[in-house]
Amino acid sequence: MAESSEGEEEGKLTGGNPQLVVDDDLRDMAKKAAWSVSSCKPGNGVSSLRDDNLDTYWQSDGAQPHLVNIQFQKKVKLQLVVLYVDFKLDESYTPSKISIRAGDGFHNLKEIKTVELVKPTGWVYISLSGTDPRETFVNTFMLQIAVLSNHLNGRDTHLRQIKVYGPRPNPIPHQPFHFTSTEFITYSILR
Amino acid sequence: MEAILADSVRNSLQQLMYRNAIFMCERLCAEFPSEKNLQLLASCYLQNNQAHCAYHILKGTHIAECRYLFALACFQMDLLNEAEAALSPNESNVEVPNGAAGHFLLGLVYRYTDRKQSAINHFNQALSLDPLLWAAYEELCILGAAEEATLVFDDGASLLIQKQYLQRGLPSQSSQETNEDHEITSNRSSVSDDVSPRKLKHTYGNNLREMSGNSYATTSNQPLHGGPTSLPFYSTPSPMATQAQLSGVRPPPVCRNALPNGPNMRTHGADVSQRVTMNSAVAGPRRKFVDEGKLRKVSERLFSDSGQRRSMRLAGESVNANSSTSVASGNGISHSSKYLGGSKLNSVVSRSSTLRKSHPSSSEIADEGNHHGVYGESRLNVTSSTSSPCGDNRSLEPEGATSSHGAVILSSSKVADGASDILGLLRLLGEGFRLSRLCRCQDALSIYMKLPQKHYNTGWVLSQVGKAYFEMVDYLEADRAFSRARIASPYSLDGMDIYSTVLYHLKEDMKLSYLAQELISTDRLASQSWCAMGNCYSLQKDHETALKNFQRSVQLNSRFAYAHTLCGHEYVALEDFENGIKSYQSALRIDSRHYNAWYGLGMIYLRQEKFEFSEHHFRMAFQINPLSSVIMSYLGTALHALRRNDEALEMMERAVLADKKNPLPLYQKANILVSIDDLDGALAVLEELKEYAPCESSIYALMGNIYKRRNMYDNAMLHFGLALDLKPSATDVALIKAAIEKLHVPDEIDEGDSMD
Repeated sequence: MAESSEGEEEGKLTGGNPQLVVDDDLRDMAKKAAWSVSSCKPGNGVSSLRDDNLDTYWQSDGAQPHLVNIQFQKKVKLQLVVLYVDFKLDESYTPSKISIRAGDGFHNLKEIKTVELVKPTGWVYISLSGTDPRETFVNTFMLQIAVLSNHLNGRDTHLRQIKVYGPRPNPIPHQPFHFTSTEFITYSILR
Repeated sequence: MEAILADSVRNSLQQLMYRNAIFMCERLCAEFPSEKNLQLLASCYLQNNQAHCAYHILKGTHIAECRYLFALACFQMDLLNEAEAALSPNESNVEVPNGAAGHFLLGLVYRYTDRKQSAINHFNQALSLDPLLWAAYEELCILGAAEEATLVFDDGASLLIQKQYLQRGLPSQSSQETNEDHEITSNRSSVSDDVSPRKLKHTYGNNLREMSGNSYATTSNQPLHGGPTSLPFYSTPSPMATQAQLSGVRPPPVCRNALPNGPNMRTHGADVSQRVTMNSAVAGPRRKFVDEGKLRKVSERLFSDSGQRRSMRLAGESVNANSSTSVASGNGISHSSKYLGGSKLNSVVSRSSTLRKSHPSSSEIADEGNHHGVYGESRLNVTSSTSSPCGDNRSLEPEGATSSHGAVILSSSKVADGASDILGLLRLLGEGFRLSRLCRCQDALSIYMKLPQKHYNTGWVLSQVGKAYFEMVDYLEADRAFSRARIASPYSLDGMDIYSTVLYHLKEDMKLSYLAQELISTDRLASQSWCAMGNCYSLQKDHETALKNFQRSVQLNSRFAYAHTLCGHEYVALEDFENGIKSYQSALRIDSRHYNAWYGLGMIYLRQEKFEFSEHHFRMAFQINPLSSVIMSYLGTALHALRRNDEALEMMERAVLADKKNPLPLYQKANILVSIDDLDGALAVLEELKEYAPCESSIYALMGNIYKRRNMYDNAMLHFGLALDLKPSATDVALIKAAIEKLHVPDEIDEGDSMD
């Protein structure tokens, strides 16, 4: 398909993983954030996005774009966003174009990633890293996941689960670098 | 009728048939209500692990033994105020019931209600009354206030032991033994408190106790010692005795008949068994010295004590393995095991039964192993001499053959020898234990090496050796010692929580999960088993499940400080600092010398950047364990964060000296030097460190940073490249690559500089 010129990067993502497999050096950042949505149908609210249950989903109930806002108390480094969507179950509710924005708050969000999903069924991984090694992480107060359009031109959308990952902090506080060798690690903690 | 019923009750207790005993005793109390009978009933309940029943029936009783049992029940039910009131009511003239055992229990109550000094006083008193009260010495070591073992287990003690033993040796011996169990029911009165509580108790225990009520000949009971019947508490003495003696306990003449000498006897037996159970876990050197075979008996008796001690010890130490040992009985309840855990009895019983015919299970019980064996001997001898009947009771008879004892009469020189042998053993073990609690691990190890092989190769000692290596951060040696301990006593759970932590540090996930499975199958209700399981999950980074396991461990025994500390570690891993702080503080409430908890709190505050608090906590940990290089290096880090760099550097130097194998202090030193701009110094240190740990990426990364600051771009580049080759974490990769990019900038500006 022709690549759209909008957004900084646009890619097509097809399919989806049935399993959620994440690197060991990433950790789930969701608990540190306040989650909110732009609209929802009663009974299918924001909690369904975080309940680790793939049968429950969030259903929006308003005009596009539908937004999921993730706000942190302090700036955090984020690396990966993973969504669970299923075309076979949700059909016209399945999101198609997704835009990820980051910033300090609602007033200065800037788009950092755009993807287009094509009939996805499972976990879809969206990395937030740039090409430059200095841009492995996005350091931000807030992340916003915007569903711009759905498959088959549906109005409302279903999202079954969202996970957000960032790097693991240094288990030893106050160190410039993580330790890698066994000698260092053995002596670095007292249990 | 009263006598017959009482006798039947005691018999049942000796045979560990609690339901029968309880039923008969309830009829007895209904027919002839009296404090003495209530005491017997309470001891039945306590042995059957029904402390609440004992509590209710003994409320308001006055005689010494009843008060003792009541206090015991209160302690098990965690009603420490009432326990204290029972043991030392306001009229200060009232003697603490049951002498040494009473003092010991009172000491425990004071310990758990945070009155350390009073606790120490009482433990010391208990020890002076009964030098073989190892549990009291253990508690003193845990509180960090024990005197040197040579002072405690000295010649004066030897004389006391002999005196007590001889006194008890007489007919009542049999009863004594049993009496020693907590349950000493009636004899208490007869007993004189100061006699070496335990020992005598053992032998005489039964007798003495019995004295009070029995119609038996009870020759001995009375005289014996002062060792008040208080044995009960600790008396696990001769679990075996129970078996053997149960029958006749006390009075020699009747002994043989399996007439229970008195309620005491029975109880003792029961107690003993309990204790024994405890001991089993302990696997201490049980020594049963075999002194013509009689030793066994004696040892049993001793063990009952040891059992007790063990329980005490176990109780005292957060490690409460008790339940584990009691597995047999299945009580699982850790505290109860201490005291009377019905389970213990059961286990004891089982033990004894396996042991043997008349031999008291003491041998097995020997866990306490240490001195007991010796003791046992003397006892045996004594018992045998004292009375035939009693002798039996003693169950100690090692070989069963002596069961009838009757004839053995220990000569006083033998007793003296026996006593001094026991004390010699106790001195070594006591000193070793004391030093290891003071964190002077190397010294403790050298003392343990002086033990005879047969004692060294027992679960208890090997596990202490393992703990000493663990504290010196020598995990390989610790692993070796603990695995030998497992081979020596595979049923013992004492110290296995530390073993699981050692395996966690060594990252041996197979061995760790195997250990955890085995422990759970040995005793599902022991705190240590769940600690091991939790460590297993934590190693696989499943912190939530690990936390659940540690919480289960806490539920099983809330007096087990290490379980609380481990919960704290998991909360920190899950970044729940509030709960982490709470867990560490609970651990400290139980054992304020648990330096791991102080360290944990220091780490939390370091993360939260509350550096003053962090420094204070690390310093507390350092004061308790002044030889640990890990603690020193963190104290130095905290000082550095507070900008007290000179002190920080000094601390790092000390850490380096304390343990040459620890690379961290050197690394931290380099960090500090960088922050005070001594770049050359830092580079020198890092070069040295490179030799020691050539695969540590952070060394090269830091060197790269330093070279960058020095504008030595070639070197910086080289080191950053090396750092990246060593596969650092993703965050570091980003950092290093970013640093490399920045390195290039000056190059681009100065054209003609070729960097790569």
